[in-house]
Amino acid sequence: MSRKIIKSKYDLYEEKIETIAEVPSEKEKPLAPNSKLKYVGKDVNRYDGYDKVSGSAIYTIDKVLPNMVFARVMVSPHPHAKIKSIDVSKALKLKGVLHIITNENTSEIPWYYNTSKLFDKHLRYQGDEVACVAAETEKIAEEALSLIKVEYEIMPHVVTAESAMKENAPKIHNNGNFGRPSEYTRGNFDEGIKQADVTIEDTFTTQVEVHNPTEVHCSVVNWDGGKLTVWDSTQSIFSVRDNVAQSLGLNASDVRVVKKYMGGGFGSKLEAGKYTVMAALLAKKIGRPVKAAMNRREMNLSVGNRPDSNQTITIGTKKDGTFTAMSHIAYGVMGAYPSGSSSYWPLRSIYKCPNIKIDNKSIYINAGRARPFRAPGHVQGTFALESIIDDLALKLGMDPIELRLKNYTEVDQDGDVPYTSKLLKEAYEKGAEEIGWKNRNKIPGSQTGEIKTGIGMASQIWWGGGAPPSYATLKLNSDGSAKIFSGTQDIGTGTYTFMQQIAADVLEIPIDKVNVDLGDTGTMPYSGGSGGSMTAPSVSPAVYDAAIQMKQKLISNAAAILEVDESNLIYSSGNISSKNDSSKSIEIKDVVGKIHERVLVTTGARNENPNGYAINSFGAQFAKVEVDTMTGIVRVKKIVAAHDIGRVLNRKTLENQFYGGVIMGLGYALMENRVIDDYTGKVLTTNLHDYKMPTMQDMPDIKVIIVSEEDNLISPTGVKGIGEPAMIPTPGAIANAVFNAIGVRIKSLPITPDKILEALNSKS
Amino acid sequence: MKIKFTLNKKKVTAEVESTERLIDLLRNKFQLMGTKEGCSIGECGACTILMDGKAVNSCLVLAEQIEGAEIITIEGIADGEQLHPIQENFIKAGAIQCGFCTPGMVVSSYELLNENPEPNEEEIKEAIAGNLCRCTGYKQIIDAVKISAEQLRDSK
Amino acid sequence: MKDFNYIQPDSLSQAGKYLSNRNNDAVILSGGTDLLSLIKENIYTNENVVNLKTIPNLNNIKYKKGEGLTIGALTKISDVAESKIIKEKFTVLAEAAKEIASLQLRNMGTVGGNICQRPRCWYYREDFDCIKKGGGECFAYQGENKYHCIIGGGPCYIVHPSDLAVALTALDAKVKLFFDDSSRIIPIHEFFILPEDDYLFENILRDGEIVTEIIIPDLPDGAKSSYIKIKERETWDFAVVSAAAVISKKGSNIKSGKIAYGGVAPIPWTEEIINKSLKNLNADKNEIEKISKIILADAEPLEKNKYKVILAKNLVKRILTNLVLDA
Repeated sequence: MSRKIIKSKYDLYEEKIETIAEVPSEKEKPLAPNSKLKYVGKDVNRYDGYDKVSGSAIYTIDKVLPNMVFARVMVSPHPHAKIKSIDVSKALKLKGVLHIITNENTSEIPWYYNTSKLFDKHLRYQGDEVACVAAETEKIAEEALSLIKVEYEIMPHVVTAESAMKENAPKIHNNGNFGRPSEYTRGNFDEGIKQADVTIEDTFTTQVEVHNPTEVHCSVVNWDGGKLTVWDSTQSIFSVRDNVAQSLGLNASDVRVVKKYMGGGFGSKLEAGKYTVMAALLAKKIGRPVKAAMNRREMNLSVGNRPDSNQTITIGTKKDGTFTAMSHIAYGVMGAYPSGSSSYWPLRSIYKCPNIKIDNKSIYINAGRARPFRAPGHVQGTFALESIIDDLALKLGMDPIELRLKNYTEVDQDGDVPYTSKLLKEAYEKGAEEIGWKNRNKIPGSQTGEIKTGIGMASQIWWGGGAPPSYATLKLNSDGSAKIFSGTQDIGTGTYTFMQQIAADVLEIPIDKVNVDLGDTGTMPYSGGSGGSMTAPSVSPAVYDAAIQMKQKLISNAAAILEVDESNLIYSSGNISSKNDSSKSIEIKDVVGKIHERVLVTTGARNENPNGYAINSFGAQFAKVEVDTMTGIVRVKKIVAAHDIGRVLNRKTLENQFYGGVIMGLGYALMENRVIDDYTGKVLTTNLHDYKMPTMQDMPDIKVIIVSEEDNLISPTGVKGIGEPAMIPTPGAIANAVFNAIGVRIKSLPITPDKILEALNSKS
Repeated sequence: MKIKFTLNKKKVTAEVESTERLIDLLRNKFQLMGTKEGCSIGECGACTILMDGKAVNSCLVLAEQIEGAEIITIEGIADGEQLHPIQENFIKAGAIQCGFCTPGMVVSSYELLNENPEPNEEEIKEAIAGNLCRCTGYKQIIDAVKISAEQLRDSK
Repeated sequence: MKDFNYIQPDSLSQAGKYLSNRNNDAVILSGGTDLLSLIKENIYTNENVVNLKTIPNLNNIKYKKGEGLTIGALTKISDVAESKIIKEKFTVLAEAAKEIASLQLRNMGTVGGNICQRPRCWYYREDFDCIKKGGGECFAYQGENKYHCIIGGGPCYIVHPSDLAVALTALDAKVKLFFDDSSRIIPIHEFFILPEDDYLFENILRDGEIVTEIIIPDLPDGAKSSYIKIKERETWDFAVVSAAAVISKKGSNIKSGKIAYGGVAPIPWTEEIINKSLKNLNADKNEIEKISKIILADAEPLEKNKYKVILAKNLVKRILTNLVLDA
């Protein structure tokens, strides 16, 4: 099958991504509908199930190498300081300490887009790295940290956007506390507002959320001459490879990054950590493998978060609900180093509106840097947008869904091109029916009694259509088994399993004959990071292509073996036979056995995305809540998640991700909150009871409804990603349900008992 | 100090330090890596093991405290390669995502079904709520425990 | 974790001898669930850790009609939560036990350890040189004080974290203490002390003194009790506000009653004026409303915890309604 090289282009927020990719030259015949397949779309058990339930799955934190030593990082106790001097002499004398690195004995390695260094004397948050110790045991390394003497020059700090934006605020970077602004205009907002019959404006705020995956960030590194192997708890082996190689001045091919199992990332593990590079420097010096791991406290300080937001939204509408203008003026904290905090995308993209004005500011503060976190910007943006739309519906006397339908768009608002598919209407219909939308309070807060119930909903838009380059290699062995290799990674979402399912269905062989190996930059073809709901839509067409090629290769080989023209051969259930002569038949394992390599190899590639279309996923979630007006406690009773996500690859892993996304959204809506003490600039929530994440007892009934089937305009597998869509609308739906229950709008997340009680108290 | 205890039904001895935690003993000395460390202070349940039949956080037990105790880790739940029905049902119900919390979840489920073979949904939630999961949303874990309870009852 | 010596006494008297020697810089390990976290976070740096677990006869629940209930200090919290007699007769205590942390911690944590646990104030637990740790100021007073006390505070503004302590206060429990070689028994309200008396500690335990037993007087037949705890998530959370109530009725009237609150003060809080007003009260909806309005009349909430006053009043209203009207 012929290939071509293209420039693959796609948008990621404001960034226009361009990469060179090899793709199939022609559009492939798509994978059959799920109803005709044996494995794809079915409840197949996950490939990695045994390892994970038996306890034999080895994560990076479990990795032990002979002669391995341990590294621990010393971090700044101050939110803003300069290192005047470091004295490691006492720590070096501790028995078992092998080496210590600081800014004094390492070369300058640029970090955070050149705004800082691996070891920067200017410390910009509590958690900024000061030194790294290698020792025989973790305990000794830990003890050594307490023996390092650092003299700090304490500098004034700012830990809120409001104070950092003031003119006389302490400067975190030389050029001030403002990052790259996000501005956008469509049409003319002021004109649009003039055309409006009704205008609504309000301000919503959201908190900082911390990823807190259960496995801490960690790496194990080992040098083999000039080549470095890194076992890393990562979502993106190739990014880590490139980051580490660049930092150490190595060729990318001399760094091998391996990840088999990892304990969650949610966006926090898409880049190389400083600890990885420090471990490599220490390992080089000591000549032994090094393990570097963070602890839970550091996880809450240093390795990313969802930025907070203060969003002022204005919407102008005609009396019938038609939007004439929308604006989104916002700011949020991105921590001490460059990141982004914008939250306008849902407003910019989900509804039809000719006049848009956007101005989002990202602010530096003395706190841990933001990183991508499951639908960056969209979760907070959707909460604010969908809250104000419900308020607007009330003002207009319209049903909230009717108002959304009034402004429904069939074309992408930015590019004026159609969507490859959009089944949001269907999601509204099915979700509304399942939750009992008709039973919601027509007048919010009108129920009597101490415990009031409410129903609310919110919509969702995301990208997640996937893109090239993404490759998968398929090997067929002479025992009839197949093995897939791809430089993608399964972060728990089921990548191993769907790759197995697709190959088994295309080759028509039993699924247990297919094995999968992922997550090794040294031996596997490239695939991108597992973030942005990009993995399944990028990787599934690649493995499909590899399997289709394999099938063709088998037929060609069988033709030679059987001496039958290819066009007269039929491939069925792992058998190739002549149409005309039933005696001429061969099993695929025998085909492989007859050729001299005794193995057949193909490499498949993700197809090019279609021109002239926008690819987005859509969905709506509906929440039913109970609010105890005596205690302010919100109990979410039920969430209905109705989504358009293309083809379902595996119902079990799909539901798994949806339930997880909904629970994460529930945590964000009701309890999770990083708190910083303004006076000292120190974080107060560094453990898992002060930083509250939902437990099994906080879980509502969740019903997942998929309204879509394969979208073959996107790819032959027709998949859209589900990781982010699962979480985006949950907080908005819960907030709207709370409003429906009590009739008072809580405009700031998390919706905790104090806010409810105070709101009800000031109302009465 | 030397301690004696039963580990996954075998009598063992170990030389331990006063500050050594049970989780370190299990992972470092016995190389039982199924017991995971998530928070180090008893707030996530990833290190759950059974001590004399009760689920406890092995990060908050000193190695010296287990003198004479019977310890079961995730590695002691299966019978060799043959998974315990609870483990099989975690796979069947799709109760796993990244898998890091899974061993602790299985151990907590195992204790629950030993003590209460017919738990209702509230009892399941109460017994396992000390195990945090950031991925799965918990629903399929509850399903796995429910199916296991039925299966274990039927097999008796 | 800083190194320490692990001491295992065989008897109470051996433990007492060891602990009462001031040169020993020792701290008591019971269930260890709080202590090991405190050591891990370098808040405790004692040289010696004395494990009480090996001392016999401190782990039992005994009930004798007319005399009451005794609970050994080393009794596991999960045993209290599941005890038949406690569930039936001293419901408030079983309910409070069940609300604590997680099953894993209830399986390890002890009753004695629970009432002696250190505050969960985030300034105390984090890297702050706060007054509770012997530093110069209470950072919560003008800082992040949403979870702090609304009454009884100053110069330290913690709330006492124990659920059991609140239930035991409503039950008029007594605490048996052992020091060196002798015992004393004191009412629980004398056990806990306010920061104005000693801001470094939450109770009167002297260095080396050991809680050995909790004694709860028997309740009259037909007495009812209950514990309600409000927390921001359903499991593994401390009380934002909690309420414990014990009520004896005579006909439709309350004969006597006692209410204690958690999450509002540096100690389990109870108000004699409220308890007195419950006596012989004809408890209808109006009377309950009246009482709920006057509780915590002296509260002085901090900037971010005014909601706790509303919450406490509502909880008292709910707990009395549940016990008296909905019965």
